[in-house]
Amino acid sequence: MIFIRYVVRRTLRNIKGKFFLNLSTVGVIAISALIFSSFALVAYNFASFLEIWEEKIEVIAYLKKGISIKNTEDLLDHIRSLDGVESVRYFSPSDALAFLQAKLGAERNLLEGIQPSVLPASVEIQLKREYRRANQIRTLAERLKQFPQFEEIQYGREWVETFSTLVDILQITCWILGGVLLGAMILIISNTLQLTIASRREEIEIMQFVGASPLYIRVPFYMEGILQGLLGAAIAVGLLFLLHRVVLLYIPSSIQVWLARVSFLFLPAEFIAGILVGGMVLGFLGSILSSARLLRYRW
Amino acid sequence: MIRMRHVYKIYPSQICVLSDVSLDILRGEFVYLFGPTGCGKSTLLKILFCEERPSEGQVFVNGIETTGRRFRKIHHVRRNMGAIFQDYRLLRDRKVGENIAFALESRGYRPREIARRVQEVLQWMGLSERKDDLVLALSAGEQQRLAIARALALDPPLLLADEVTANLDARTAQGIMNLLKEFHKKGTTILFATHDAGLIKQHPFRVISLEPIKPTTSSPENVPLEER
Repeated sequence: MIFIRYVVRRTLRNIKGKFFLNLSTVGVIAISALIFSSFALVAYNFASFLEIWEEKIEVIAYLKKGISIKNTEDLLDHIRSLDGVESVRYFSPSDALAFLQAKLGAERNLLEGIQPSVLPASVEIQLKREYRRANQIRTLAERLKQFPQFEEIQYGREWVETFSTLVDILQITCWILGGVLLGAMILIISNTLQLTIASRREEIEIMQFVGASPLYIRVPFYMEGILQGLLGAAIAVGLLFLLHRVVLLYIPSSIQVWLARVSFLFLPAEFIAGILVGGMVLGFLGSILSSARLLRYRW
Repeated sequence: MIRMRHVYKIYPSQICVLSDVSLDILRGEFVYLFGPTGCGKSTLLKILFCEERPSEGQVFVNGIETTGRRFRKIHHVRRNMGAIFQDYRLLRDRKVGENIAFALESRGYRPREIARRVQEVLQWMGLSERKDDLVLALSAGEQQRLAIARALALDPPLLLADEVTANLDARTAQGIMNLLKEFHKKGTTILFATHDAGLIKQHPFRVISLEPIKPTTSSPENVPLEER
């Protein structure tokens, strides 16, 4: 209890004592965290955007004419049992005509006189999320082609391949850029904290002189780093939120129409919690890195 | 309490400050470390305080060998000793009272106890009036008294004092010596480095003499060792 009180008292006094130095450290952390979280926000929205596209990925298998209902039901069961298939839906020629009429809307009269039997029956196959990648869809399509009941298999090959490439690029970019930004953040924070700790060299030497236990020397500095990290990250999240609002306000109406189905989201709560905890961890690691040499008893 | 065996200190510039020093100091003793300037008194105190490593030899403080290569628990040794060196080691941009409070707080004393001790030691040292003054505003003699006050506030079982009366006027020096003697009576072991033969004559205790390069000691073998 005495120790906790001591740590709180000494940490607050340290912050108050070197207020402007602490302020600049918090500022540096906030700017670094803002850059990182802005990148995370863009990546998050791009990923959500891709998710909406991903929902549209499906395989349509057109049936040959003259397949009996019994045969079709067996076929649907068989397809359901295939790897990666989430759901299967049968579209009769009448369903296909109704779909076309709905699509044409006011111009549905174009379809007047057309009999449903002209259109082929089809099976719409929805895939499980982890199977919505180009090579897996291709494998499934190849398997479906072997079914004698099918006339043609369609899955928008080019579209799926472009989508898969985009997802790959996004993932790799996230890892590389995220890693580089994180590394830069640790470096910047630890260098800035080094300034704070160097400004206390005299105090640390006195503490060592009077035989203070290493915990008594180190913990207030670590706490200071953690608080600076938390405060910096919180400021970054606050600024990012404002930035997000401003961007939403100033998006031109033409783009807003386009975005109607895709919202420009703010980071989810767990991501924000992650940034705050990350800020604390970085502050802690930064203070360990920057103080390791100075806080150790040496002779 | 202190045992040194065949201790040498040679600085990288090949200057030999201590050569084959062996000594024993018992718990509760008041011992002078006497010798001219440059004979290695401060170096010897710094070795005991774990601030300098001896080039060779063994040092035991409170039965703990401090000279081992892997010895890392310097704070354990320092917790049992107070030191007053010639450079005072004060926080110059802090107030007089804050300097003592800082040391006590760093050692885990409670705020109420800190306030009491600060008041007490400042009174002993005649610095009560200057409690709220910055160290920068103190004279050399006052800074020396503050360094002594800080060391005594921690109530150490062993006190290393390096020429602590050197910058003080005769009256203040006398007061400090009386205070140290009081602490000694209460059981504090004191190792007092000085080059002032008059001081030793005035306050006689056992003397360990150091001479430049070739040291002589007051035959430690004749002293009944606590560790034996």
